[in-house]
Amino acid sequence: MQIDQQRERFTIPIGPQHPALKEPGHFRFTVDGEIVIDAKVRLGYAHRGLEKLAEKQNWVQNIYLFERVCGICSHIHSTAYCLGVERLAGVAAPPRAQAIRTLVGELERIHSHLLWLGVSAHEAGFDTLFMFSWRDRETIMDLLEAFTGNRVNYSLNVLGGVKVDMTDELAKTVLAGLDFLEERTHHYLEVVSKDTSFLQRTRGVGVMTRHQAEVLGVVGPTARASGVTRDIRHEAPYAAYVDFPVRVVVDDRGDLEARFVVRMKELLESYRLVREILANLPDGDLTVRMPRRIKAGETVSRVEAPRGELLYFLKSNGTDTPERVHARTPTICNMASVVRLAVGHQLADVPLILAGIDPCFSCNDR
Amino acid sequence: MSTTEETLTLAREIAGAWDWATEVVQPEENRLDVYLKNPDDLVAIVTGLRVKRLGYLAAITGLDLGTEAGELEVLYHFCAGAAVITLRVRLNRQETAVASLSELIPSAEPYERELREMYGVTINGLVAPDYLYLPDDWPTGVYPMRRDFDPQSLLAGNGARTVTE
Repeated sequence: MQIDQQRERFTIPIGPQHPALKEPGHFRFTVDGEIVIDAKVRLGYAHRGLEKLAEKQNWVQNIYLFERVCGICSHIHSTAYCLGVERLAGVAAPPRAQAIRTLVGELERIHSHLLWLGVSAHEAGFDTLFMFSWRDRETIMDLLEAFTGNRVNYSLNVLGGVKVDMTDELAKTVLAGLDFLEERTHHYLEVVSKDTSFLQRTRGVGVMTRHQAEVLGVVGPTARASGVTRDIRHEAPYAAYVDFPVRVVVDDRGDLEARFVVRMKELLESYRLVREILANLPDGDLTVRMPRRIKAGETVSRVEAPRGELLYFLKSNGTDTPERVHARTPTICNMASVVRLAVGHQLADVPLILAGIDPCFSCNDR
Repeated sequence: MSTTEETLTLAREIAGAWDWATEVVQPEENRLDVYLKNPDDLVAIVTGLRVKRLGYLAAITGLDLGTEAGELEVLYHFCAGAAVITLRVRLNRQETAVASLSELIPSAEPYERELREMYGVTINGLVAPDYLYLPDDWPTGVYPMRRDFDPQSLLAGNGARTVTE
């Protein structure tokens, strides 16, 4: 007797509300046993229509609107927007303001990477690392609060400059905080590259070759962990990155371990940058005068957010409200790689592969 | 790594090979806008960029030029270093159709799906049939990023799509 064997295939829906995934995305994984054979993603559960709303608000109101695209990388969103509007108006913020923008951009990167380390460690089942890294993240949150007045959504940027100045006293507090964090980061770097049980979850898992990374169009640390030297801070320096050049961290291995190592090394690079900026902070004004109406025109503003390249397209029609603001966030680029990389992996590896790109659903949905 | 000027010169050469079909403008130092007279030439020119390995597709932006102009504009931003090369295609508001780039550039898919949902641009050759951002019960023929979008139309509750999956 011949039996026509057809394996049963299940589709497992995950999200938009799910205990293992803290943000609202919907994934459908088709599995054959434990192995994922197909993956699909649906987004938009946190879509707020910010690009539409931006057409109704004036240029100044939109700083605060786009700062709220994302709660983690809020400063880089407002920086990209302000740099773009300033370019449209033909105005350049003073050097001190640019340096302070860059400084807070790096502090934000430190906070974002430490947050990511915790989330990813949690997805890997390593909750001790999660709690330690989030405890240490409080150091940077306190520094950001001391400097700008807010833990998130710092409202530091204004069109034509920044609002708050760095004092010598505060600089000392920042440096002391960085000394502590640097010591901790060296420890975490050792943990993520030496701890045997942790490496069983990360080494050789979710491998993305350099070619695949280029074809899938991934950006940021995810791309750099696959050997793609793509960093806007280095390729097209903005704000004060011309004066404070960044050393791009690249790893060729392309697996989850590489993504951990790249981000930990980027933390060390950020500490170096912050120290260098604090030691060489230019003197001068914090703001320049900006016109209320912005000259008609278009521009593209690109910056390196903690998760990768962030692109703003701005179009002005000569009035005090923009004609169009388009934000292309890094997670949109990286999300496609999760759907492709998940195929062929154990279902249990998928949460960590997803966490590996540092997904931000509120960036995605805007 | 080539400089911004070298990249823009190369982009000019590629667009120059299609000089009867394109118009090239340099609005900023690091940017080059290539206006395509006919949307049908898009894939051929993008292939030209790919063959020369010029940049990567960084974003696709939709613009509604308004009901009076009767046109939509689609911008394909290609970035290489600091250089941004933008291919610009104009589409009739009523019969919007443009070829998909996802065969050539797999990473174009999410941008094209967003464009289709928000602006109602038909993307010929795009496989994914379902929504990426909009909910399943979003009414057909309502495109939120168009200028004449009326939020009231969402309250009517008519013509809602049924859940397909």
